[in-house]
Amino acid sequence: MAEALDAGAPTFADRFPQEAAVVKAALTSSFVALFLGAIFGIVQGLHRTNVLREIDSQYYYTILTAHGVLMVVSFTIFFLVGLFTWATVRSLDRPVVDIRYTWTWYGLMLVGTLMAVVAVLGGFFPSVDISADVLFTFYAPLQAHPLFYGGLAIFVIGTWLAGADWFRAWWAWKQDNPDERIPLQAFMVLTTMLMWYIATIGIAIAVVGFLLPWSLGLFDNINPLLTRTLFWFWGHPVVYFWLMPAYLLWYTVLPTLSGGRLFSDPLARVVFVLFLLLSTPVGIHHQYVDPGIAEGFKMIAMTNTMFLLLPSLLTAFTVVASMEHGARQRGGTGLFGWLRALPWRNPAFTGMALAGLMFAAGGFSGMINAGMNINYLIHNTLWVPGHFHLTVGTAVALTFMAGTYWLWPQLTNRQLYSRPIGLAQVVIWFVGMALMSNAMHVMGLFGVPRRTAEPQYQGFDFLASFGSITEFRLQLALGATLLFISTVLFVGNIAASSGTPKRSGHGRPLSQPLSGAADSPAVLDNLRLWFGIAMVLVVLAYTLPLVSIIDGGGLLGRGVEPVPVIAEPLTTLAEPLSAAAEPITEWAKATLGGVLR
Amino acid sequence: MTAEQPSTEIGHDEFDPRGTLALILVYFAILVGLWVFMYFVEFLGNGLTVMG
Amino acid sequence: MNIHSYEKIWLVLATLLIVGLISTVTYGATAVGVEMVSDSGGTINASALDEDPRFSEPRVEQVGDNEYAAYVVAQQFIFKPDPITVPANSTVTFYVTSPDVIHGFEIVGTNANAMVVPGEVTELTVEMNEPGEYGILCNEYCGNGHHVMEGKLIVQPESEFQGGETDG
Repeated sequence: MAEALDAGAPTFADRFPQEAAVVKAALTSSFVALFLGAIFGIVQGLHRTNVLREIDSQYYYTILTAHGVLMVVSFTIFFLVGLFTWATVRSLDRPVVDIRYTWTWYGLMLVGTLMAVVAVLGGFFPSVDISADVLFTFYAPLQAHPLFYGGLAIFVIGTWLAGADWFRAWWAWKQDNPDERIPLQAFMVLTTMLMWYIATIGIAIAVVGFLLPWSLGLFDNINPLLTRTLFWFWGHPVVYFWLMPAYLLWYTVLPTLSGGRLFSDPLARVVFVLFLLLSTPVGIHHQYVDPGIAEGFKMIAMTNTMFLLLPSLLTAFTVVASMEHGARQRGGTGLFGWLRALPWRNPAFTGMALAGLMFAAGGFSGMINAGMNINYLIHNTLWVPGHFHLTVGTAVALTFMAGTYWLWPQLTNRQLYSRPIGLAQVVIWFVGMALMSNAMHVMGLFGVPRRTAEPQYQGFDFLASFGSITEFRLQLALGATLLFISTVLFVGNIAASSGTPKRSGHGRPLSQPLSGAADSPAVLDNLRLWFGIAMVLVVLAYTLPLVSIIDGGGLLGRGVEPVPVIAEPLTTLAEPLSAAAEPITEWAKATLGGVLR
Repeated sequence: MTAEQPSTEIGHDEFDPRGTLALILVYFAILVGLWVFMYFVEFLGNGLTVMG
Repeated sequence: MNIHSYEKIWLVLATLLIVGLISTVTYGATAVGVEMVSDSGGTINASALDEDPRFSEPRVEQVGDNEYAAYVVAQQFIFKPDPITVPANSTVTFYVTSPDVIHGFEIVGTNANAMVVPGEVTELTVEMNEPGEYGILCNEYCGNGHHVMEGKLIVQPESEFQGGETDG
């Protein structure tokens, strides 16, 4: 298809160069984390399937911690803050209030991530007294070095300040536009951040109130069920923090990519309000088989969780309807034939479409996870990573990559290095993930555990009711390999794009919705109301269970001692510290280099 | 990226997403079928279910 | 608010689906009688398991007609007792706790799957039917030996079962 350029259409980089620089920096940090995380991912995928075991299995857990933190804390959230800065500035059509403040919160996030990652990577060097082999969930009484908890705390504070930045931009816009509806992208940013402020209450109390002082030795005992419950208070809504930026792209960019218009702005607002209300009072569904929590509380969490399916089910309809609109505008006909009229050669479109398709499958395994008693079947088995690699691993990650193909030229005024490689990359991701995740789901049903370096046992074998364990292991390893190749293609393509010539004409306007904001009741924009209701629901869901846990086991537990995951005591510092510092300085150079360019 | 040039314009009142409805009904049927299978065959058909 | 009639159809169906999912689970909880692990096991001093008559000597003992209690300790990186031996055609209630970190207790290939949290006691009751052997594994990361943590459940024919005590 011939390239039709809006001659001279200004890009985001032309109109808001300072903000474009921050967005680029955030996205660059995101992709560096993705790349590092992917290296660890392929090592895991080959190790636990017994295809390639080059490292000692105890380091598997160091690698697993790094993979988890880099992927679902660094990669996803750096992307979010970049995307949300772009979306807020673009939809309000004004710069941030103070760009130095913006760089400050970004810098805090960077410092926090570096601290946490250094702590984790220290686990590779037993003679260094710093490690954090505690996995992404860092359940007490497994104890990491205080640098890990401190880093996470600083990172989260950075995100809080980021939210304030976007609220300030909105308030400034409101002074000049007192009677207008909040532009849809800004609305999505603000509702997501309100959800985040509520969600991070749990993790802030867990880390700052308990884990950090405990790891500093200020007190010894801890109540593991309490900190675990506070973790999951945050641990469920964080998945919506990953998902809502992807939804923002599906609702506000994908219709234009499809050649059409968003089917309904009002329903998009309703969906984001539902996420604000329901994302947090559900965390106990991660604790269905925990002791110390009564079945009634688990039932309440389940009911809330099942209703939390609604905004995603509505999204499926609205987003596909928007795609259908585009397809029919492009000349597509028939009940299903219109699918062929979509722009499948465009990697931004195809990536998002495949991500959405995979999300439909991930949604089903999520429904199973949400079922209170059926949870016995799959809890902590490999089914669970099978599920979340479909959701955060594809619906979110693949959408982010696809969205980058569309957004990056508008941030840099440079063309993407290669569209064909981009298209191949998204398809390889989809195929690789289909293979890997399917194998994970099936092996989980056979009882194979997650989070385990060598899932092979002396006293028994896993019984495969069809196929064989060996075949599914190979399938998992193959899928993981394809995913790694896809990641390299993505990161390489973006990196190489810094070498294409700068030119004008990369501006890409977005289409207007078919049903606009004016068609929805103004109460949807009443953020205070929804925030208030969300807080009430959280209080109702969590007060009694937390009181019961503290009542039963005490605020600091009953006789539970710390179990540090530091391998050996400190002997010498200099050499191992400089070896540990090397990958970090490389990362810092790459990130700062991206900023300064 | 290619700027999409629609060959026709379809407005709000002329558009009925029947393709979407058809697809989502198929999805609904798959969800119901898989749920029934997972719950009644895989889960309830499995051993040592916790009864207390 | 203007919602297209097709989307209204979907809204109704989606809500029915959600209600259906909740109803299925409720059916399982009530008519079938599946119970969730709860706070019924109470709390315990994790540093003083050897002072608790249940866990100082992990074992299986008879507590009623065809009813047995299995007191299990999950710790880095074993389950005690190993193996856990129970008779066929009985009702067994497992009481599981840990002196160190969070573990998982999964009887492989079955629905008996629960968390073990130091300071808490996990209680779960299952019906043992035919004789057989099951593997037990820990499915929650518990340290660098996590992948070797396994146990065994032996369901013996009633005629062979020797009373309650097994090794600690």
